[in-house]
Amino acid sequence: MTGVFGGRGEVAIAGYAQSGIERHASVTLGALAVETAGRAIADAGLAVGDVDGFVTGALFPTAGAYAVEDGVSIVSANWLAEHLGINPRYATGFQGFGQIPGSVAIAVNAIVSGAADYVLLHRALHNPPGRYHANPMRRAGGPQQWTVPQGYFGPLAMIALPYNEYLQRYGADRETMAKVVVEARANGARIPWSYWYGRPLTVEDYLAAPMINDPIGRFDCDIPVDGVAAFVLTSGERARDLPHRPVYVLGYASGAPTTHRLPLHWPLDDIMSIGSETARRLWQATGLRPGVVDLPQLYDGFSPFVYFWLEALGFCEPGEAHLFVQEGGIDSSRAGALPVLSGGGALGNGRMHGVPQMLECYLQLSGRAGERQRDRAAIGLACHSSPHYGGAVAYGAQPPEG
Amino acid sequence: MTVLPQAAGPEPPRPVPVPDDGSAPFWRAAADHALVVARCSRCGGWTHPPEVVCPHCRSTDPDYTFEPVSGRGAVRSWTVMRQSALSGFAADLPFVLVDVELAEQPELRLIGRLLDGVHAPLRLGAPVTVAFEDLPDGMAVPAFVLDAES
Repeated sequence: MTGVFGGRGEVAIAGYAQSGIERHASVTLGALAVETAGRAIADAGLAVGDVDGFVTGALFPTAGAYAVEDGVSIVSANWLAEHLGINPRYATGFQGFGQIPGSVAIAVNAIVSGAADYVLLHRALHNPPGRYHANPMRRAGGPQQWTVPQGYFGPLAMIALPYNEYLQRYGADRETMAKVVVEARANGARIPWSYWYGRPLTVEDYLAAPMINDPIGRFDCDIPVDGVAAFVLTSGERARDLPHRPVYVLGYASGAPTTHRLPLHWPLDDIMSIGSETARRLWQATGLRPGVVDLPQLYDGFSPFVYFWLEALGFCEPGEAHLFVQEGGIDSSRAGALPVLSGGGALGNGRMHGVPQMLECYLQLSGRAGERQRDRAAIGLACHSSPHYGGAVAYGAQPPEG
Repeated sequence: MTVLPQAAGPEPPRPVPVPDDGSAPFWRAAADHALVVARCSRCGGWTHPPEVVCPHCRSTDPDYTFEPVSGRGAVRSWTVMRQSALSGFAADLPFVLVDVELAEQPELRLIGRLLDGVHAPLRLGAPVTVAFEDLPDGMAVPAFVLDAES
C-alpha cells in the first residue's frame, strides 16, 4: 500500500453550471436542480442521454425540526436522474461530512472503474422558511440527552468551542478574523451568482455585528441559501474531445476521528491531529506538496475553518495562521499571497457547502474565470468541512506527467 | 416541508433528558446531585457517554458500571451563548457553557453550564467542580462552578 492514487489525472471536469444563490429561490429546489443539471450537461457539450452516472451528497445541514423531502429540501442522485428521465447505470449518495470531496471521490472511482462514463455531480442546498437551526424539542433522547438539556446545541456552539480554544491558546483576536471574512466577501462581491454579489463587508461591519455564541458572531457563519451547482466528470481522454479545457482530478483525501466524543464536540486537538493526517494522505496520494499549490481553496462555512485548514495542510505552523492572515497572507489581490478565498468561499457566496471551492478550482484551472481569471492557476485544492471530518481534492490544469 | 408552529404564550421549559437503558443510572444519580460515569467492566476505562463498544479496549460487552467521580475537572474551552436555537433558554441568556476534562482520566469530557455567570474569570485550564441544575419532574443536569483560586 503506497497511498499513491492510482487514478491520478485519469478523470476530469468537463463542464459545470451554477444557479443563482438566493435566500429563497422562486422555484422548488428540485426544479432548480433539474434546470441546473441540464445547463451543466449542455455546457460539457453533451446530451442528457449521455449521462450514465449521478452522484451527490444530499445532507440538509440544519439542526432545525424540518422534514426532509426529496426534491424539496434535498435532491438525491436518484431523484435527479429520475426527473431528467434517465435510468442511470450508477447513482449513489455520499454519507458523511465533506459532501463535495466525498462525492468527487465516488464519481472519480466510478469513472476509473468503468461503472459510469459521464457522471453528473450535483449539490442542492435549501434554506427553509423560519429560523434555520431553531428547534422546539422538549425532550432529548439518544445521543442528544448528553448535551441538549445543558443547552449545548447546534453548529455554532460546536465551532465556538474549538475557535475559542484557538484564540485563547495562541492569543488570536477577532480583528484578525475580520480580515478572513472581509476577504471572502470582497471576492464574493465580484461573483454574479453570489448571494453577496456587489455587497462587500467592512472590518467595522464585521466587528459591529452581534455575537451569537462567543467568539462566533453573525458574519463568522455563512448565510443559508437556496442554490444548486452541477459538474460533469468523465475520463480525461473523453474530456479532451469536449468543448472546454479539462480540469484533471489529481487525487483526494479524507479522514475521521476515532476518539469517542459527545455530540457536536470538536476539540481543537481532534481537528488538527486528524486534519494533519488527511493532509499527509493528500500529499502522498497526489505527489504534491503545499508549495506547488497555486490555488488552495479553503473551506470557510465557519470562518475559523480557514485557520484550521491553513495549519492542517502545512501552509502555516500550528498556531500561526492568524499571524499569516494578519500580515496579508491570504489577500488575493496581493502578489505572492495565498488566494485561499479567491472564489469567495461559503462566506462570500452563501451556504453552498464545498461548491465555491470546487467551482473556483474549475473556473481558474480551465481558464473560464473571465475578468476574475488569475495568472497562476495550474494546481488547485478544494477543501470542505472541518479538517478532521471533511476532505480535499487536488486539481490540475494538466494531467500529471509520467 | 413542515415548519412547526411557534408556541404561543410563555416559553416552554427547557428540554429534559429522556433516560434509556444505558443512561438511567447516570440520570438517577444526577437527580440526587451526584455525578457518576460509566466504567468498562473489562478494562476499567471511563466513558462518557457510554458507548456500545468500549472506546478503550473495544470490548463489545463492556457491561458498564456507573461509579462516582470526584466532579473536579479543568476547563478546556468555553462559549458564551447569547442566542439559543433551543426553546426554553431565553430567560437564561446569555449563559456560559464550559467544556470540562474530568480529573479521573485524560479526555473524559463533559459539557455543561458554568453557573458563575458571563463575567466569571475563565481561562484554559481553570479548575471547576460539578454542580447541578434542577429541572422539572425531579430531574437535574450536571453543570459546573469555578473553584476559588488562591
